[in-house]
Amino acid sequence: MDVTTYVRNPLTYVWALLTAVTVTSWLIARDGGAAHHLNATVTVTVLLIAAVKTQLVIWHFMEVRQAPTWLKVTTTGWLIALFALLLGFYFGAA
Amino acid sequence: MTEVAEESSTGATDAGRTAAARSHLPGDPSMWFFVIGDLVIFGVYFVVYMYYRGQDHDAFLQSQAQLNLTIGTLNTVVLLTSSLFVALGTAAARGGRTADATRLFGLALVCGAVFPLLKLVEYIPKVIAGVTPGTNLFFMYYYVMTGLHLCHVLLGLVILCFVIRNLRGPAMPRISFVETGATYWHMVDILWLVLFALLYLMR
Amino acid sequence: MTDIDTAATHSATPARPARNWRKNKKLDQWLAFWIVPVFFNLFGLVFVPLSWMMPPRSPSAPQSEIVGFMQSHNLLIACVILTLTFGLAPVTNACYLTQMKRMSVSPVFRYCLIMGATTGGIVGQLFPMFCFGLGAFRPGYDPKILAMLYDFGYLAFIGSLGCFCIMWMAFGLAILLDENNILPKWLGYYTVWQYVTELIAAPVWIAKSGPFAWNGVMTFWLAMAMYVSWQIIVYVCIFRSIKNQPDDELENAWLETEPATPDSAAKADA
Repeated sequence: MDVTTYVRNPLTYVWALLTAVTVTSWLIARDGGAAHHLNATVTVTVLLIAAVKTQLVIWHFMEVRQAPTWLKVTTTGWLIALFALLLGFYFGAA
Repeated sequence: MTEVAEESSTGATDAGRTAAARSHLPGDPSMWFFVIGDLVIFGVYFVVYMYYRGQDHDAFLQSQAQLNLTIGTLNTVVLLTSSLFVALGTAAARGGRTADATRLFGLALVCGAVFPLLKLVEYIPKVIAGVTPGTNLFFMYYYVMTGLHLCHVLLGLVILCFVIRNLRGPAMPRISFVETGATYWHMVDILWLVLFALLYLMR
Repeated sequence: MTDIDTAATHSATPARPARNWRKNKKLDQWLAFWIVPVFFNLFGLVFVPLSWMMPPRSPSAPQSEIVGFMQSHNLLIACVILTLTFGLAPVTNACYLTQMKRMSVSPVFRYCLIMGATTGGIVGQLFPMFCFGLGAFRPGYDPKILAMLYDFGYLAFIGSLGCFCIMWMAFGLAILLDENNILPKWLGYYTVWQYVTELIAAPVWIAKSGPFAWNGVMTFWLAMAMYVSWQIIVYVCIFRSIKNQPDDELENAWLETEPATPDSAAKADA
């Protein structure tokens, strides 16, 4: 098995980005959110990061990038609707 | 030019597959029905969670403090890595490199199997310490949502086993089946990405 | 003789429309099928406008409310109808089984469906019937006992998820693994969601209020939304499946195809 083709693969680069961003959000929550009080900055940041990660997985890993348009529209629509509602309810209650 | 770029991005090297690479629905369409529906159902659960969190955010915040953030993060990376192996394996299978695909899916399976183990390491100390679904609404949500997700992971591991069996079998591997299994696994990954942010990270 | 009869039915003369339906080879399945809307409408009537058992009352209602509900006139009527029509439930489940028999999967799946339906029917329908029936038919119970029966009835109705989990998982898996494609694959996945919503109902045993109580958003309302749509769709699919079933695949096809012999009697008893 030629490991190099898999290491130098666009999918692997996407994974590296996803992992880096995950660690970042972990640090944000651990340090910025250490106080466990309501914190809109932390929340918005981690939710946006989650949205970006989800989009990357959908687009590249699930290969929606090469899928028919209706699937692109549906998945993107789901993502936007979900995070809009999540943020909406978060700020609506606060 | 674009087609060459498409080829390298999926890792496939067969020229004959370029035509299929454009506008290709991976796997069984009924699995996409399931994936989209599951995403919507979980999406509703997530939004309802956010609503109830807003009703009592102090209790939720204090309860969140008791979660093991490290294990949560590890689990996220574990699933992301497993998804990577699945994606690479799918591309390899499509490119005819069945031996590679089998190994990659094997790695995905091993990686994915770490998730339930970490979950046990997370649940057991809590339950022993008396933190159960009945403790408060946050923990009810925590156990129910992560429990439901865990069931999805376990089912996904079973599906990965079937994919590996398909790849190793004497007959030609059914690429559609490999893609279908891969789609399911990525959905499981996505659900966790959102769950992780909602339960562990947000304040 | 048979030819004349068939010719008459094919030309659809108005003189003999009544003979048509009795000659229908799938009469058994259609009878079972059309009982379904009757059954569900009766049950809908019983549970909603008559007794207001559905949507479920609060698990944390005060005792006086519970007593009032358990001894109400409407609950009495509801229980009478329930007792008389409960027997229709197995018929509605039989519709699934006749079509499942055509699938290429192991018989284990339909045995699981039967067992799940049976145990679910006993626990999910009979027990609540007894509990609410006791309140309705036997006045004079201590309020504390009535409160226990109320809990018992509702928990049995909504918390009997294990049986239905097995039933829908067996059905869903059978559809997905079936190589004869009797029912569409997406229905198999839809049925798996039924199983998921049953699982989500597990917390009703713990929570007495909030979204995870037996009248909660997560456990009842969302599950109901999934269930009602699924139940309608599944019967639409079963309808199409019965309609499209080739005559020679029917259980009673051998009556027409095989010559009459002294052995026929033995086969009819089989």
